[in-house]
Amino acid sequence: MKALVPIKRVVDYNVRIRVKGDGTGVDLNGVKMSVNPFDEIANEAALKLKEAGVISEVVVVTIGTAKAEDQLRSELARGADRGIHVVTDEEIQPLQAARILAELVKRENADVVIAGKQAIDDDNNQTPQMLATLLDWPQATFASDIKIDGGKATVQREIDAGAETLEVDLPAVISADLRLNEPRFIKLPDIMKAKRKPLDKVELSEFDIDVPKLEVVSTSNPPAREPGRMVKSVEELVAALKDKGLV
Amino acid sequence: MNIPELLAEALPQDCVTTEAWALQSYGCDRTTIWPAQAVAVVRPRHIDEVQRCVQLANEHGFAVVPSGGRTGLSGGAVASNGEVVLSLERMNRIVDFDPVDASVRVEAGVVTAQLQDYARDKGLCYPVDFAAAGSSQIGGNISTNAGGIKVIRYGMTRDRVRGLSVVTGKGERLELNRGLLKNNTGYDFRHLFVGSEGTLGVICEATLALAPAPADPLVLVLGVPRFADVLEVLASFRQRFSLSAFESFSDNGLRKVCAAHRLATPLSTPAAYYALIEVDECDGAAEQAVAAFEYCVDQGWVSDGVISQSLGQAAELWKLREYLSETLAAWTPYKNDISVAVSRLPAFLAEADALMAARYPDCEVVWYGHIGDGNLHLNILKPERWSKDDFLARCSAVTDELGDLLVRHGGSISAEHGVGLLKRDYLHYTRSPAEIELMRGMKALFDPRGVLNPGKLIA
Ligand SMILES: Cc1cc2nc3c(=O)[nH]c(=O)nc-3n(C[C@H](O)[C@H](O)[C@H](O)COP(=O)(O)OP(=O)(O)OC[C@H]3O[C@@H](n4cnc5c(N)ncnc54)[C@H](O)[C@@H]3O)c2cc1C
Ligand SMILES: Cc1cc2nc3c(=O)[nH]c(=O)nc-3n(C[C@H](O)[C@H](O)[C@H](O)COP(=O)(O)OP(=O)(O)OC[C@H]3O[C@@H](n4cnc5c(N)ncnc54)[C@H](O)[C@@H]3O)c2cc1C
Repeated sequence: MKALVPIKRVVDYNVRIRVKGDGTGVDLNGVKMSVNPFDEIANEAALKLKEAGVISEVVVVTIGTAKAEDQLRSELARGADRGIHVVTDEEIQPLQAARILAELVKRENADVVIAGKQAIDDDNNQTPQMLATLLDWPQATFASDIKIDGGKATVQREIDAGAETLEVDLPAVISADLRLNEPRFIKLPDIMKAKRKPLDKVELSEFDIDVPKLEVVSTSNPPAREPGRMVKSVEELVAALKDKGLV
Repeated sequence: MNIPELLAEALPQDCVTTEAWALQSYGCDRTTIWPAQAVAVVRPRHIDEVQRCVQLANEHGFAVVPSGGRTGLSGGAVASNGEVVLSLERMNRIVDFDPVDASVRVEAGVVTAQLQDYARDKGLCYPVDFAAAGSSQIGGNISTNAGGIKVIRYGMTRDRVRGLSVVTGKGERLELNRGLLKNNTGYDFRHLFVGSEGTLGVICEATLALAPAPADPLVLVLGVPRFADVLEVLASFRQRFSLSAFESFSDNGLRKVCAAHRLATPLSTPAAYYALIEVDECDGAAEQAVAAFEYCVDQGWVSDGVISQSLGQAAELWKLREYLSETLAAWTPYKNDISVAVSRLPAFLAEADALMAARYPDCEVVWYGHIGDGNLHLNILKPERWSKDDFLARCSAVTDELGDLLVRHGGSISAEHGVGLLKRDYLHYTRSPAEIELMRGMKALFDPRGVLNPGKLIA
């Protein structure tokens, strides 16, 4: 069984981002970039299934600038077998990414896609769902547990009221939530090995991504938090809360 | 009139408390050896009130224990002899910041992490950092000359201090060094107060130098089967990098941390020791790190290793080191905080190892430390069946032998935690009789009536 795992290069989760002065976006100058954390979880899940003998090959895919190769190599070091890098400086939106991935799934003849549930830069939470639709495959999103057995995947997903368990026929698209696993640390010897793992570069022009795009009108900081007020007693606190209509 | 009444009369009413919980809680630090026996806790809001309190102590002959975050590990802030605790915690304002001087003026009660955050918001960095930074205070840091995990690059707290406002034991106010970088006008008293452990004066305000914001960190944890090889690893990484940290810990320590905090062990195959190395993330840093790692593996020094891929992972790896001290607290460890020149560590360690094995056959010993600074924390864990007193007596005897060893290797009995009560009787292993006599003279000069922290540091 072959798994395809999409990987996105994003601003590191722990960076305090700054909005550009002219409001055209986020300032990425000199900012630490990392693998989207949900993608690390997705790859970890695929690798666990490989170690369990369920999956035979894990192919990691990234769509992004030349520098995104760093993130692809990281995930190869984690243990993926092969990488595909669709090289572009263009900003790729979810529907475009889904189209590219759908094409790669066909070329690779993959049996399952395990993706992160969303990328933490734009927080779209759309690509896996769109991909499933384009492929006409079943989807199981926000997975907190994945079991694969006899052509079916049993996926536990987190919902507001608790947990829901889905059974989907393979091939399918599964998207990973935070509690699915804790990704392992990358071992230094594996970084060396990853340098020699096959990594194909593919031109963006090979894909049909001519779809309507969303336009970002402006980016701004969230409103500043209003300063707090110290109260002297519980009575005063209750009165203040009542005043604001909060209790 | 009794002491609390005297204080209550001279100071704003809500500055003085004698409630039992306060006497207990403000009467101890992180050592759990001496019982709290304070008579009152004073929490001033202004330097004038600090001065008034010290003047009263001189007039009426009571003892005062200056107190910060009470995270000290040597009993320096312990009040177990009917002293008045003078806590600086309400003096916690950041008074002034100057981007041109790259310095900040703070009151002594500012919590270390509060200053770190403030500096970060200003695009700079306050680089003194260690696991207690969320509770320790600037006044306490200065009084103990705190070190921590970034000393290898930034130095100790002393290297940050540009100016101090103090109230001496005599009750005088001194403005030391005016926040200047250059000021060659004779004896620099500022440096006497750094590391004086509350025995010469009460630090009320400080001007501290900030550093440029650091690059993003790249963190490695390497498995090192033999301790002596940790130093080989240090040497080979130093050739390639300007290190921002080089820490080490033993496997038994790591296992305790991982169990207590439900963390995954970083390496699939354990090693007897680990080195945690932090360098600046920049183009080519990861490649350099891999090259250094390969070299160390080829030499047989390192068995395995991991490297952070994100800032989150860098922080996760740091937890393995940062959680050690608090994790071990469950075993009431006896802490030795020693240092020798880095180059002498292997020879010293061989002998120290043999000494520990011979003298503590029944006790588990956990090593960790700021190896890049020649600083080792040697924690002896109390066997459950031993009483606290027996354990302490045994440890004290071994500390004498350790002291002899340190004399031969030119080391220090307290690298960064200070002397306080815990190491007072071992001071002579590091300081000569002539030096100790001069220390007494200095104490008499600044605190003639001996009201500040009597019995600490020097008997
Ligand atoms: C988990 C943990 C990890 C630690 N790691 C490190 C480490 O890596 N490096 C290190 O150096 N230390 C370390 N320590 C020890 C401790 O945190 C430091 O010594 C710290 O500087 C103490 O600050 P404090 O505010 O808690 O001081 P306190 O414990 O309150 O006081 C320490 C001494 O300073 C005096 N004092 C306090 N405030 C003043 C003042 N305003 N004026 C005059 N004297 C004053 C006290 O009388 C006492 O003698 C660690 C402690 C813990 C619990
Ligand atoms: C052209 C020029 C440029 C200079 N530029 C600078 C500069 O940029 N920065 C700067 O800081 N200074 C500068 N100086 C001043 C001077 O060079 C320094 O103060 C230097 O450190 C003095 O060293 P010295 O050996 O000549 O000391 P001396 O002039 O011999 O003595 C200076 C003081 O030190 C005492 N002393 C000397 N040796 C000892 C000892 N072994 N033990 C105890 N006390 C001792 C003496 O009693 C005296 O008080 C400059 C001087 C000149 C002429």
